[in-house]
Amino acid sequence: MSQISFSSTPNLVLRLPMWRSRLILFLIFIGFTALVVRAVWVQGFGNSFYEEKGNKATLRSIEMPASRGKILDRHGEVLATSLLAKAIIAFPDAIPEDLSKEKISQLAKLLGVSESELRKKFASERNQVFLKRQVDLDIAKQIKELGIPGIAQNNEYKRLYPEGEAMAHIVGFTNVEDHGQEGMELAKEKELAGQPGRRRVIQDRLGRYVEGLGIIHPPKDGADLQLSIDSKVQFLAFNELKAIAEKHHAKAASAVVLDVQTGEVLALANWPTYNPNSRSNLSGEQLRNRVLTDTFEPGSTMKPFAISLALEKGLVQPNTSMPIGKSMVVGKKAITDTHPYSVLTVSEVVQKSSNIGTVKMAMQLQPQEMWEMFQAIGLGQAPNLGFPGAVAGRLRPYKNWVPIDQATMSYGYGLSASLFQMARAYSIFARDGELVPATIYKTNNIPKGTQVISAKTAIQMREMLELVTQTGGTAPNAQTMGYRVGGKTGTAHKVEGKGYATNKYRGFFVGMAPMSAPRIVVAVMVDEPSTGGYYGGVVAAPAFANIVAGTLRTMNVLPDAAVKQMVDKELQLGPNGSTQKVSLSR
Amino acid sequence: MNRSTIILLIILMLCSLSLVAAQQKTRSLYVALESAQTEERRLNQEWLRLEYEQRNLSKSSRITDIARKQLKMQAINPGRTQYVAVD
Repeated sequence: MSQISFSSTPNLVLRLPMWRSRLILFLIFIGFTALVVRAVWVQGFGNSFYEEKGNKATLRSIEMPASRGKILDRHGEVLATSLLAKAIIAFPDAIPEDLSKEKISQLAKLLGVSESELRKKFASERNQVFLKRQVDLDIAKQIKELGIPGIAQNNEYKRLYPEGEAMAHIVGFTNVEDHGQEGMELAKEKELAGQPGRRRVIQDRLGRYVEGLGIIHPPKDGADLQLSIDSKVQFLAFNELKAIAEKHHAKAASAVVLDVQTGEVLALANWPTYNPNSRSNLSGEQLRNRVLTDTFEPGSTMKPFAISLALEKGLVQPNTSMPIGKSMVVGKKAITDTHPYSVLTVSEVVQKSSNIGTVKMAMQLQPQEMWEMFQAIGLGQAPNLGFPGAVAGRLRPYKNWVPIDQATMSYGYGLSASLFQMARAYSIFARDGELVPATIYKTNNIPKGTQVISAKTAIQMREMLELVTQTGGTAPNAQTMGYRVGGKTGTAHKVEGKGYATNKYRGFFVGMAPMSAPRIVVAVMVDEPSTGGYYGGVVAAPAFANIVAGTLRTMNVLPDAAVKQMVDKELQLGPNGSTQKVSLSR
Repeated sequence: MNRSTIILLIILMLCSLSLVAAQQKTRSLYVALESAQTEERRLNQEWLRLEYEQRNLSKSSRITDIARKQLKMQAINPGRTQYVAVD
């Protein structure tokens, strides 16, 4: 009998159907396929969503700061610079309600505002409020140390002007957003302004930038700007204006110093002025750059132009004498002089500033000739200086002139110009007949001017202008120790309403030095001097003299006039009293 | 598995490890570069501030003021100047 063991009982043999294992295998296969598809999807086709998530955590696009260019004077001294500062920002919602009173008072003190003002800002409905802008770094640091939640700081720049009010009208200023508002800051905004850049980086968990992914656009620092202004001369001119404005209780005063060799403006000063570093309650009076934006009737300072034209045309010679008399009638108007003269030479007409003498010469000229002369010296055209607000003045076309117009224009009424135009016009006498192109930027080359009159006439006129400053002239006050000077005074009634004010004047002096080889033209204008005289020779000439002396000294120009030495010609050298002869150059 | 496969596998692993190391080094160098650049900017700002301070201390108005008031100095004039010619 065959023994059938228990284990091999045929009834107990499990016969699993094949399809079950196949099914499992298939399900595993499906599972893996799903994983592969998912992996391909996540890493391949549909990865933008995940990439975005990842980038959000690590990728940063950060700003690359750019600074505004500096403004420098001709010697590279800083006139305007930008320093890093902080804007203090509050997020009212994040500021705790129970902020201690002590902290609020500390913060208010640091910000320089009252506590109630600060509380008002904290209660603001807005998302964020500026507590204060352009806060100095050390104060910002102290604010940070207070550790008040909900207060943040942003980087920004603060523009500073070391020369302050003396240079205010040239340099101008920027607003809190660092955009130019006045002066060169406005005129050269495009060049000065920096353009911040942007780049992409990867940031790690600690907030460090660990990898650069390239620059989106590079930052561009603003270019530095070098002006022709000499800060020493500028300060000197400004100080003089301040002094005369105070001495004569004048409404305003302006001065301009021009280097006639290069055409560079060395100084351009105005009074009243303002402090560009702390601008509050600025008035238009303070902001006005009078040298360039105010036009006026130049009065007697115009005379040399009509007279030099008469000299140029050969109508007169410097020593030609002419009868003057008490008055002269042109059209319906009688022209008079301050002091009556019987006979004067052409030189004396300039020296004594005779209206009648000037008109006598001017009436021999054709209106067109005179108009062309005035055009050639830059009247009626805004100076090409690249300065905002430079005005053209008024010069009517000669076709509309009647004889009295021609007569009054010869002594500076019926046309208008700015002080700057007058200073530049005088360069034709200083430069042997050439009108110099003026610039406010530093230049190293000597520009070519336009010949307006012959060198001979210019030299003759220089001699006459020098007579003005000597005894018998209208401006002995313009005399400068050590230097021969020459120039012309002007005193003009101010226009008020439809006519001229009887008791309101402008006093001018426009002149040059040293006369042996002119280097500078200086023009000074005093508006409405009310005490101590009003004639240009009294109010403006002394300031001219001081500006000339200081400017020529800083320019190292040798004196060309005899000077009474107040010191020994032997210079003491060394402690043992040994002396050494120094050869004097003159 | 033959020998060459094993060698290639080892080389592959070494390459992968060095890649990780290089990446790490790049990042730490980049962090150093970043902090150096931040320092450069800070020093630049400091320099600008010092330049401004120097200008503030050396400007004509301050010097004139000190010379006249504290040191009781007077402006020179040609009469008290020895002009020395430079040959």
